[in-house]
Amino acid sequence: MSAVELASERERDELRRRFLRNRNAVIGGALVGLAVLTAVFATTLAPHSYTETNMLLVWGEPDADHVLGLDSLGRDILSRILVGARVSLGVAASVLALTLAVGTAVGMAAAYFGGWIDTVTMRAADIILAFPELIFAILLAAVLGPGVLTVVLALSTTWWPGVARLARSLVLGLRTEAFVEAAVASGTRPAAIMLRHLLPNIVAPLIVRASIGVGFIITAEATLSFLGLGVQEPTPSWGGMIRDGLTVMRTDPYLAIATSAVLGVTILGFNLLGDGLRDLLDPRARDR
Amino acid sequence: MLTYVARRFAELVFVLVAVLILAFAASRLMPGDPIGAMLSDRSGDAALEQRLRAEYGLDAPVLQQFWIYVRGVARGEFGLSYRFVGVPVVEVLGDSLKISPLLALSALTLAVPLGVAAGALAALRHNRWTDTSVMAVMIAGISVPNFASAAFLVYLLAIRLGALPVAGWGTLQQTVLPVIVLALQPTAYIARLARTFMLEVLAQDYIRTARAKGMRERIVILRHALPNILVPLLTTIGIIFGTLLTSTFVVETIFNIPGLGRQAIQAIFARDYPVTIAVILLFTFFYAGINLLVDLLYGVIDPRIRLEARR
Repeated sequence: MSAVELASERERDELRRRFLRNRNAVIGGALVGLAVLTAVFATTLAPHSYTETNMLLVWGEPDADHVLGLDSLGRDILSRILVGARVSLGVAASVLALTLAVGTAVGMAAAYFGGWIDTVTMRAADIILAFPELIFAILLAAVLGPGVLTVVLALSTTWWPGVARLARSLVLGLRTEAFVEAAVASGTRPAAIMLRHLLPNIVAPLIVRASIGVGFIITAEATLSFLGLGVQEPTPSWGGMIRDGLTVMRTDPYLAIATSAVLGVTILGFNLLGDGLRDLLDPRARDR
Repeated sequence: MLTYVARRFAELVFVLVAVLILAFAASRLMPGDPIGAMLSDRSGDAALEQRLRAEYGLDAPVLQQFWIYVRGVARGEFGLSYRFVGVPVVEVLGDSLKISPLLALSALTLAVPLGVAAGALAALRHNRWTDTSVMAVMIAGISVPNFASAAFLVYLLAIRLGALPVAGWGTLQQTVLPVIVLALQPTAYIARLARTFMLEVLAQDYIRTARAKGMRERIVILRHALPNILVPLLTTIGIIFGTLLTSTFVVETIFNIPGLGRQAIQAIFARDYPVTIAVILLFTFFYAGINLLVDLLYGVIDPRIRLEARR
């Protein structure tokens, strides 16, 4: 075993120890783990079908069979919340994968090549960032019409500029480092330099950025669905369920309250984990 | 400073023109034929169709339509509504133009002092239980989306306690819940930043000097520390306004408030796109204006920014 590997193993042990000492990160990690497991096994865990309607039990009160009661079409609320986790986390994962891939590639290319590539991509990012939070996504959703695909596309379009800007600034900081100049001097192709030399050095801050972004993306999906521009019936989405629940708060508060609690706790989990990872991997970026 | 102002202004103009083009393109790409919908049962009336298309400027080539629209926007007009045939968008918006800014400003007036106070308090009690519990509340405040906290607050304050109306607009009581819901996330956000800035400031030499010369702690905090955290906080006002503008879409929908956000959303479903586009443009222009103002103000307050821009 080489000395380098030994050092990195010790480093990893140290990182694990510091993670376990960070109370927020541990609580956040546990909540996120729970949410992910729920999303994966949603249909197995659900006591009832999430689409099965029962018109005799419309807005039924909670009982032993339906722990959180039934909704406007007599569907089991608990089952719909569980399957809603799959929708919510699925959208978040897709948006994250898309924005990280596109944003990192664009940002790195902009910084590495500079010139017109930099100008064009960064001006495009400026234009999207000129819209207040989510307003551009709302505009896109209005053009494309509601649906899961719309949500993923709208949120990805709104999110890549932030990732691209981060990747760009990180690569700009590295471009004059000796190991990059050595790679350039030895005739390595730009693609290889970016993938093999630059990417590994900017992964940590990108992961931190991504983990902090998950909470925002889940909120954004829920907001679009709440406004009726996102995920559509009969697919359960937490945002849409809260909107339905809010209309009947006086008589049947269970739907809105239970869904709000689950949504809030899920986002809290991701935010705690994101904060923890940031403290661990990128101590300089604290609270900025 | 002048070159800095000129450059920021040029950037703003570029971005706003691009935003206008995007918004106009979006309005033409949205589904449905507005004139067809207006004609509905009189769809055979070619003369009427001709007149409506002319009135809405839809009979001109697209580039000319864009030019007409831009000239309208420059005069503060946003074309005619599709839903209310022949009525200018500005008239459809009407009182909404006052309601949404009033809501956002009230929320900000609540959030800034509360957030700064909570953050400063946490920093002064660094790593003690006050700090930990304040920060726990604040991270929860950032995490819970506004419609979820609205559900809790409506249930608790309006339905269980009956202290406040569930929804509606017009009385003072009806503004309380919406403003609280709007203010929650900005308060939490400001508190977290204020705590970080305060911790940084408290570690500075001039604070130690002030304490060392026997200055009372209250004066040290109020006169030396606090002003110095307000400057970096100023730069975040732009971000906070961005969040508030989006929140009005949600909060106005929940509480049935006839503001710009609810109008924009209702207009999407009624296919009254000129109204939606007008609100989006108003919000984006306002947001850009606030950000420019904050940048310039920051340049005035902190000379280092100006020097950076000159390089």
